[in-house]
Amino acid sequence: MKQLRIDTPKVFLGLMVFVMLLPLIATFMNSVASEWSGTVLPSGLTGQYYASVLADPRFHAALLRSVAVAAVALALATAIIVPAVVAAHIYWPALDRWMARLVILPYAIPAIVLMVGYLRIFSAPPLQIGGTPLVLVLTYVPLCFPMFYIGVKNSLRSLDIADMLNAGRLLGASDLAILRRVVLPCILPGVTIAIVLNFAGLISEFVYAKMLVGGNFETLQMYMFAQRSLSGRISSVIVVLYFMLILAITLIAFWLLTKTERRP
Amino acid sequence: MRLLALPFLMMLALLIVWPLVSVVHDSFISGGVWSLGNYRTILSDGYYRQSFLNALGISLITTAVGMFFGFLVAVCLRGHSGGLRRAAMAFANIGANFAGVPLAMAIIFLFGLNGMFTLMLKATGLLEEFNVYSVTGLIIAYSYFQVALATLLITPALDAIGRELEEAAMLMGTGPARFWLRIGLPGVARQLIAIAILLFANAMGTYATTIALTGTSVNVVTIRISELVSGDIFSDPNLANAIAILLFVVLLVPIIVSQIAAREKQG
Repeated sequence: MKQLRIDTPKVFLGLMVFVMLLPLIATFMNSVASEWSGTVLPSGLTGQYYASVLADPRFHAALLRSVAVAAVALALATAIIVPAVVAAHIYWPALDRWMARLVILPYAIPAIVLMVGYLRIFSAPPLQIGGTPLVLVLTYVPLCFPMFYIGVKNSLRSLDIADMLNAGRLLGASDLAILRRVVLPCILPGVTIAIVLNFAGLISEFVYAKMLVGGNFETLQMYMFAQRSLSGRISSVIVVLYFMLILAITLIAFWLLTKTERRP
Repeated sequence: MRLLALPFLMMLALLIVWPLVSVVHDSFISGGVWSLGNYRTILSDGYYRQSFLNALGISLITTAVGMFFGFLVAVCLRGHSGGLRRAAMAFANIGANFAGVPLAMAIIFLFGLNGMFTLMLKATGLLEEFNVYSVTGLIIAYSYFQVALATLLITPALDAIGRELEEAAMLMGTGPARFWLRIGLPGVARQLIAIAILLFANAMGTYATTIALTGTSVNVVTIRISELVSGDIFSDPNLANAIAILLFVVLLVPIIVSQIAAREKQG
């Protein structure tokens, strides 16, 4: 019987991967089909729809807007969140415990609930910025928190901060200098991975982009949403391109992760 | 040094506390005066009650689907090397980010009127008609990201059960199914419940996938909120605030209960 044994876990994993890939396979086949109606498989292949999307100025603009908003929001989020997580870890354990609870914030308070509040507070002074890209930059900052907390916290746990601070203080360095010169370089890999993963999350954001800004400032997701009803071919090309973008970003993040872990 | 956390606390106050306080405040305003009218409307109007019931049903079903398959995948990944596990986690991460508009579109290409799967089933005669723009379509779409998210969260949680424990059980002649039912599952039950609550909240709050797949045709909470703040005919922002608060309460209660339970067990 031994030669008949099947590796059940592997078969199951393979089957799961296949099922999870099915929507993508269907989308991809749709995107390269020249003629496809009423049959299971397309009758001819073409790349013309890729050419037309890649040449579409509206696509370029949407991509640029998404990347720009995500980049500015991430810069702001990094500057605000990373020092706070480090400070809480070393000097303020009570805040640290609260931060650990706040990690589930995006699940506990769905974007659609906060959106209703944002509509209100951004429609009147002192923050009358409703409908501008600035709204997205601000509202994206809290979304970055969980990833930053997990990434920075993992790096901090592996360090002996107390020793570092004592050694530095003996040498006459201020705490701020020790944090910048010694602690920051140690947590930088964790921060980088958090930035990359957050970037993928932010360019996928839809609720705020649609409800708070809408057509004024068309992001990648809004572009996809607008194209969804126009032509099946064009929209499938956009989905495939978007998937490849997310795939590339995720691969970069996991490559960074492997690189950090290999270091002694 | 605690000052370093000041910008973060200000950010929380400005972008989480302020909007939430505003939502709570506005939810008690009806017709320009303080009242419980909005809440009364939601509880008495069958339409809004239905939106909650529909969302609850879809969320509970897809949470169960996500937990079931996520757990099986996580168990299978335990026995494998770092490389395969990492690839699976990367893939699950992409699956979780793929949720929303692109997922809805991909589901349409698969199960829509001219979708690959629909045509395949029709060709084999297994199916007459399949309408993806329905609650069933939403359940399929939600299940996709629920399985991905469950895999992401359950896989690290299972590390709490030592390999030695599993090997000892195997040596004693305990099969994998028996091991997981008698030892494994009770060992991580608390974490699994916490993960299930997150999945449930994730589904209840889903808006992008819903609007992109079924538009406003399926009556769920998030769609009602968006219609009430942006709709031209049915606009009633204060009612939207009250629905948002009720949704928030529905999500918060299980989260807080599970956190209190976790603390009692530790203490």
